[in-house]
Amino acid sequence: MSTESGAVAAGTAARPAVRQRAPERADPGVAEAAAHAVADASDRGARIVAVIIALAWHLAVGLPVLLGSWSRLAAPPVVAAGWLVTAAIGGAAGVRLLRGGLPPARPLAAALLVVDGTVFAAAGERQLFTTANWVWGGLAWFFLLVLWRRPLGWLLALLGAHATIALVAVALHGVTTPADLSRYAMYVYGTSSLPVAVFAGAAAIAALARERAGTAAAALAVAAERDAAERARRERQARLALVSGTAEEVLAALATGDADPADPAVRRRAVLAAARLRRLIAESDDVPDPLLHELRAAADLAERNGLPIELVAVGAPPELPVEVRRRLVDPPTAALADARGWARLTVVAGPDEVVVGLVTPDHEGPDATGPPGGGGDGPVEHLHERDGEIRWTQTRWRRT
Amino acid sequence: MDADPVAEDVTGGQPVGVAIVDDHPVVIDGVRAWLAGEPRLRVLATGDDPDVVLRAAPDAEVVLLDLRLHGRMVLDKLAELSAAGRRVVVYSEHTDPETMLAALDAGAVAFLAKHEGREHCVATVLAAACDRPYVPPALAGALVGDPRPDRPALSDKEREALLLWFQSMSKASVARRMRISEHTVKQYVDRARIKYTRAGRPAATKAALLARAIEDGLVRPEDIGIYRSQASADRPTP
Repeated sequence: MSTESGAVAAGTAARPAVRQRAPERADPGVAEAAAHAVADASDRGARIVAVIIALAWHLAVGLPVLLGSWSRLAAPPVVAAGWLVTAAIGGAAGVRLLRGGLPPARPLAAALLVVDGTVFAAAGERQLFTTANWVWGGLAWFFLLVLWRRPLGWLLALLGAHATIALVAVALHGVTTPADLSRYAMYVYGTSSLPVAVFAGAAAIAALARERAGTAAAALAVAAERDAAERARRERQARLALVSGTAEEVLAALATGDADPADPAVRRRAVLAAARLRRLIAESDDVPDPLLHELRAAADLAERNGLPIELVAVGAPPELPVEVRRRLVDPPTAALADARGWARLTVVAGPDEVVVGLVTPDHEGPDATGPPGGGGDGPVEHLHERDGEIRWTQTRWRRT
Repeated sequence: MDADPVAEDVTGGQPVGVAIVDDHPVVIDGVRAWLAGEPRLRVLATGDDPDVVLRAAPDAEVVLLDLRLHGRMVLDKLAELSAAGRRVVVYSEHTDPETMLAALDAGAVAFLAKHEGREHCVATVLAAACDRPYVPPALAGALVGDPRPDRPALSDKEREALLLWFQSMSKASVARRMRISEHTVKQYVDRARIKYTRAGRPAATKAALLARAIEDGLVRPEDIGIYRSQASADRPTP
């Protein structure tokens, strides 16, 4: 009984004679990234529009009326300071948005509310409902910027706070006639509805784009999967035709009495045909896993050379690097070339471990593979053993 | 490819009564021929309907059941028979691991792949008759590759023994590889199987397997936890 064990060094094992390429599988990660790219592109357009609206409004509408009504304001420097702070917040949030990030919503929203209250107080009673009180209409656009891509509820809450501050100001300034209150309500409605619509619209467009891109990517993945499955199906049909042909020949010869069931050659043909049929039936995967695909190719080859071989696979192998797959497949493939009598090839696969085993009857004569080369590192362990009864080749990959 | 020598103490000299349920007469005849060569077994009835067969042979100790009858998977029938205490050995050409595990969950005493041959068939039926586990290589593969998150926790040795038995189909070779005796290999394999008596719904057959395993010293009652009392209570009188 001889035992050799150790990891295979790259290139020491004999190369298999046939290496078929496994059908490619669609990578779900790529599709997902594409969906994100589309969604991001459409979101970027909306960001640019929102930043332009807020800053243009602030400069083209807010600034002229502030300067024009300077003398009529109760505390002009305070109102102007609020304008500057708001411009700074808008600038900072805008830069962050255009660079693809999101501004810190909570601190900026709080700062805007402070500006809101301060300007309402500093504008004075007479300017409360004039354009000089620029926070009425202009501030809501900045809410939009600082709350970008946050839930709509946050914006509504902020606008609610804005309306409450205005109501408190209205009450404290004593302008509470029914006409004033209805004017207040109209202002709140008029200045809030448009930002809310823009905000909700932008969110909806981004969601739609994401969904569409996701659907397209999923459709692409399905198509690729279907292609691979179709290819595998054709391949299997071709093999089935071959197997059926062989089996029919044997059966027909037996039926006509041309072949004698007692003849070892006839029995061997029957065994080969049966083994091949069984392996074909055992293939349950729609899209072949690359590892199983390579092992099946090796098994087919051995069988064409007249070796009855059984291939049993349990579990689905995870995605493995080509090098790992090679180290798993090469030793048993090389040992197959040396097999006599019969062979049993097994695969047990889980997410963290894949074990390939090849067992054949032991016989006199050297190992085709020779002792495995040095290099104890690497995630694939290779074991080759003869015990007088069987020859046993095992490769085992463990996730490290 | 060796099957286990199975315990001789099957029902004190009397041959074990077997019922065969399959919808292919050629399979029935084949299995009958296999079992006929074994003096410890006697086929009492055969047919393609489990109810009819068991009415003809109510005393059958083991039922060999083809899992697919007239194009339908009869897992529900299997569960019903197992719940009623019938020792059912499922034998099927459907050897995907999901089907095998589902059969064990439903209460099958053992699962035999149709291509596994006479030795395994006889050994399985004999073991089943005395509520002992028998794990043919295909079933060992299904157990060691069980991907379900709630699968029974197997020890490293049990997993290794199952894996090597599945690969080599030779307990002698597994024993040499693991540097233990063949008897110990069989113990690891059987213990892994016994742990599966806790999976799926309870069945009288599972309780019987477990009780016998405890009696044989294969598992200790304290390893089994809550199942102990249930097992002793459910155990059919011999």
